[in-house]
Amino acid sequence: MRAVTLYAVVDVDKCKGCTRCERVCPVLAIKVENKKAVVDPQNCLGCANCEQRCPEMAITMAPLEQSRVVHESLAEVDMAAVIDLCRRAHLHPKQIICYCTATRAGEVAAAVLRGAKSPEEISRRTGVRTGCKVECIQPVLRLLHAAGIAPERPARGYQWYGLTPTVWDIPEEVKKKYAQRGFYFDEDRKLLDSLVGAGEKGGE
Amino acid sequence: MLRAPVMPLPPRRSQYGVAPELVRKRAAELPDMVSVLVRDLFPDAAPVIYPGENGLEMIREATRKQMEKVDLSMIKPGDSVNVLGSHHGFTLLGGAPYAEMLRTIRDVVRERTGCTDIRLRVGVGLRFRESEEYIKAFGLDEYYEGKAAGVAPVDEGVAIETEIGTLYGIKRIYDARWIIHAHNSDVREVHFHRQVDRAVKPFGMSYARIETRSTYHQNLGPRAANFVARAIFDSPFVQEKFACAVFLMMSPSGVVGVDADNDLYALNDRVTYLGCRDYGKMMTLLGEIDEAITILDFPSPVPYVFAAGVIFANFAGANRDLFDLDDPLPPYTWYTEAFYGEDGQPLIEGVPPVNPAIKVVIHNYAWGGYPSAFFTEHIPTIVVGREQAELLNRDPQNISYTKHTLLAEDLDTAVRFAKRVAGTDKILAFDGASGALNVSRSLGEYLLQKAPLVSRRVDGELLPKWLKQRGIDPSRFKIC
Ligand code: SF4
Ligand code: SF4
Repeated sequence: MRAVTLYAVVDVDKCKGCTRCERVCPVLAIKVENKKAVVDPQNCLGCANCEQRCPEMAITMAPLEQSRVVHESLAEVDMAAVIDLCRRAHLHPKQIICYCTATRAGEVAAAVLRGAKSPEEISRRTGVRTGCKVECIQPVLRLLHAAGIAPERPARGYQWYGLTPTVWDIPEEVKKKYAQRGFYFDEDRKLLDSLVGAGEKGGE
Repeated sequence: MLRAPVMPLPPRRSQYGVAPELVRKRAAELPDMVSVLVRDLFPDAAPVIYPGENGLEMIREATRKQMEKVDLSMIKPGDSVNVLGSHHGFTLLGGAPYAEMLRTIRDVVRERTGCTDIRLRVGVGLRFRESEEYIKAFGLDEYYEGKAAGVAPVDEGVAIETEIGTLYGIKRIYDARWIIHAHNSDVREVHFHRQVDRAVKPFGMSYARIETRSTYHQNLGPRAANFVARAIFDSPFVQEKFACAVFLMMSPSGVVGVDADNDLYALNDRVTYLGCRDYGKMMTLLGEIDEAITILDFPSPVPYVFAAGVIFANFAGANRDLFDLDDPLPPYTWYTEAFYGEDGQPLIEGVPPVNPAIKVVIHNYAWGGYPSAFFTEHIPTIVVGREQAELLNRDPQNISYTKHTLLAEDLDTAVRFAKRVAGTDKILAFDGASGALNVSRSLGEYLLQKAPLVSRRVDGELLPKWLKQRGIDPSRFKIC
């Protein structure tokens, strides 16, 4: 869930049309047209990624006249399917996967089950990846992957590159090789498994 | 042995914090505050080279001396070299010593190799302009002849093939023939890295793309995740470029030296030993505190404000031994945070509570730019000044931070109220004061009384255990 209170404003005099903002926007709400960046205020989630990366300092964040909340409701979704999808992605439906917006795996799973097919679409529906923009891409990709969806990367964008390994994928020879150096692969896998398999307290 | 409070460094002008003039009073200016020097708590603490009489000259000298033992013959005059830094280095003692080390590295590389294409690339975490601010503040852009840049984890990436699969680095970090890893040994987020491969960690953080950081914080678990950085560093892609590492060696008392090596793992062992020994003592001592009002008062985001080298996030976990790898989950990491349900209750058993000794937090001066709502959800918090609350409210990473906080007009009012509700006069300021803890008199006396026992326990029992868990033979460092 994301409370949206700000939106991006471009100073067209400063903008050089470099497209950096377009490449980093997690919801594809800013586009360069005729060599100037243009924001779609309806879709902008106020994450400030563009403002933080614009080399010309051409973007500022302004308060929305009326704030809004972005949220994928779990009310009319098949909860058994949500739980099943989360578990296949090795996630507990109630665990937080986006620390800034406190979005939980179940909400993202619901967005996927309701038709979201890419991280950008998921972000537009749940607000995930619009806080720090850094830490939550993997669980999003894991949930899409578990649903059998191979999303398409935004052309030339830096929004994301790809799925990376999890503790369930570490080769045995790697575990053996580094066992003495403080890497607790099996123990941590056990810990995460205990969360994934935790009672339906989290799933209901 | 209680002394007058050490005045902390002044607030820093930054887009991530309120303007310095809005910080009207510092914790150290409160009545009844005193200072306890690290060397009074732990008389065997390593001597510092900075701060000291000879100022930054000591840093320059130590960097040059250490680099003498490093082989730079692989760098040819026509090559390009990226000196890789990280924003955290600039939060140490005001940033000047780290900046001086970065300047000296450039000079030495130029003198010894004849190479002129030397660039500075400084990574960041979640405040993408922070490195740019430091580069400007310390004139590093000019020193590196316009070739200094801050790089962020959302910048263009490069795929790196590793032993565990594909991970991603930042393209501009690796766009030179050679890289020099210029970091520091400050223990800082021991709750995350657990002092496992501390010297390697920036390869999985400061120099890494969002995919890699997300792997570290979401995919592998609180201890296994440390392998991410090693996997990247060991990759043929990085090995082919790696020239050497130069580290500012930190302790709770200040800079204790500079260390440089072509072998990062040899340096890593020394960093592990010193970190466990010096920070281990200070953290164990803070873990002895039974009750305290904590004042955040330093130009860094909430978890990163310092007291004698220890960050607030680690005080929030000081009810556990953060160095003990047998303990799976610290009271605060993002893994821990993820394990709490919407009702505020843990989803599984065994999630340790946040340090119950912290009765109230007073947010007198701390930045946004790091998701910190976890702290206000778990610890009663008073924010001083509307401007500060407004800063957090506008921060996309802290949209619910002030949901659970009270607002006080000024620091004195906040402290009066905190004392009343907490029923304690023990105060601990996280204000970055150098080589000392700024505390109330009652807490100062308490710490001086506890320190000798803590010191003996770390030397005799904990340090050997911590080193063994990390594959380091304690006898190598004459500990048995
Ligand atoms: S990043 Fe800045 S300069 Fe580049 S297109 Fe966007 S607004 Fe314009
Ligand atoms: S990057 Fe963030 S702030 Fe900028 S347009 Fe996109 S959603 Fe809005």
